[in-house]
Amino acid sequence: MPEGVQTGGTATATGATAATAVAAPGDSSAEPMMRVRGLVKDYGSTHAVRGIDFDLRRGEILGFLGPNGAGKSTTIRCTLDLLHPTAGTVEVFGLNPRREGVAIRSRLAYVPGELRLPERLTGAQLVASIGRLRGGVEERRRDEIADRLKLDLSRRTRQLSTGNRRKLALLLAFLWPVELLVLDEPTSGLDPLMQHEFVKLLREARDAGATVFLSSHVLSEVQRTADRVVVLRSGRIVAQGTVEEMRSRSRQRIEVWFDGDVPAGVGDVPGLADVAVEDHRFTASLVGPIRPVLSYLAGQPVSGMQLEEPDLEDAFLDLYEEPR
Amino acid sequence: MNARTLELVAGPVRSILRSALIWTIAIAAIVFVTVAIWPAFENSAAVSQAFDQLPAQIVQAFGLAEIGTPAGFLRGNLYDFFIPLLMAGAAVGFANSLSSSEEDNGRLEVVLAQPVTRQAVFAGRILAALIWIVIITAITTAVQFGSDALFDLQIGADRLVATLSLCALLALFCGALTFAAAGLTGKPSVALGLGLVVAVGGAIVAALFPLSSALAEFAHVSPWDWAFAGDPLSNATDGWRYFALGVPAVALAILGTWAFGRRDVSAA
Repeated sequence: MPEGVQTGGTATATGATAATAVAAPGDSSAEPMMRVRGLVKDYGSTHAVRGIDFDLRRGEILGFLGPNGAGKSTTIRCTLDLLHPTAGTVEVFGLNPRREGVAIRSRLAYVPGELRLPERLTGAQLVASIGRLRGGVEERRRDEIADRLKLDLSRRTRQLSTGNRRKLALLLAFLWPVELLVLDEPTSGLDPLMQHEFVKLLREARDAGATVFLSSHVLSEVQRTADRVVVLRSGRIVAQGTVEEMRSRSRQRIEVWFDGDVPAGVGDVPGLADVAVEDHRFTASLVGPIRPVLSYLAGQPVSGMQLEEPDLEDAFLDLYEEPR
Repeated sequence: MNARTLELVAGPVRSILRSALIWTIAIAAIVFVTVAIWPAFENSAAVSQAFDQLPAQIVQAFGLAEIGTPAGFLRGNLYDFFIPLLMAGAAVGFANSLSSSEEDNGRLEVVLAQPVTRQAVFAGRILAALIWIVIITAITTAVQFGSDALFDLQIGADRLVATLSLCALLALFCGALTFAAAGLTGKPSVALGLGLVVAVGGAIVAALFPLSSALAEFAHVSPWDWAFAGDPLSNATDGWRYFALGVPAVALAILGTWAFGRRDVSAA
């Protein structure tokens, strides 16, 4: 396993480099925006979350990944005081969600995973209603985001498609300059163009100082936006680290061409697996550091080499699967 | 009241506007149409004789005594069963729609994610239901007075106001019970079921139990008995009857609000 990637249910991310790299300008505080310790949430005999620890650092975008039923939404709902933990603690901005929920929610915006909106209101009426709960709406900002998302605010929410309802929820999330965005499957139902616009809005929010807690099934989206990821499976953290660290977990496909026959001994090179030799080339999976492979190839008549970019999806497919 | 607090009440008031108007129009229309047939009753000896020939138990159970008098006519046709039941049904429906139903279908989550307390959200919904019951009561009272004048049904205004106030309090009691069940469980089936069982079951208990010597004592467990056993259309109402309905209603509303703040909120 690559250095820096941590696995296991009680691991706590400690990547100081990543934390420094994403710290908000002028912020010297090491206090995390969110601190989760030993979080357990049971529904009767069902164990949704089984004791997880992680921090959300100030200014970062944290990807929160896992298959359906992994406990992502349950964890998010605990941070918002929609659920009460069975055990463990959750702090947001250093505050307790149960006792200081109003103070916490005044500093964050949330897009729920299962999105249900009041059906009889138009988009504009819903924005105005939520605005009254949040101290007002800046209409110019509202119209700008609606325009970017190509959202018609004059239509009733029940007349909106799934994607347009999601756009409305995103508008509500990005409308106010909050410190923390909690986004649970925010692009579910959006077309690729709008997913791209969402990523732009997300980066703008981060550049403006927001921290983002992003639960998503769209790995490419996480790959493009997240600084770190936490992976859940069956209520436990199975890995966490930076996106690069996670990506390096995946097997890379390597293909090498030679001027003549493939030299003997290629199957014995450390870090190569599934070696297949054919005429003047071989293909293999790179499962370890590349240095031994390069050392081996350095003395050979290599005419070409291709190393495929590792993909986050490959890394996660292994993590998502239950161990047999 | 600041804009945030106002919205926590105004939002739910708006959200049940359509159903509340339907309830209001239906109840007012029933009152108007019923009073409109009063002149036929008033001058018809045959109708009075027909009711007089019914068994005494039936007359008592369905409030048909003295049907030829203004008080008897209103009691037998409106206020012994229909109007209290419709108003209680409206209150139970409003309470369920604004609490457990909204929670069950996930629509509360958008509001609860805002900088407001759960208790404030729940209390705002109770106030919204209360406002609509007061509006329905006020309009029903106005239609009753107007119809009485139009069709020359002469009955004391104090009796009508007392009767409609008791109808409203019974409705609020049933609504508060629904809110309490919603706050405690979040389950629409429990909240709606409990509210309707008390509203309908209470009517049956109050009407039928007095007919049996073995069950007569138990009629007093029904909130309908607390409200109407004194025949408010014919007699001055004892003050305790208002408190008997109002105090538990307030207690149930507080219980629901408290419970809602202490449990998990259901996901969609």
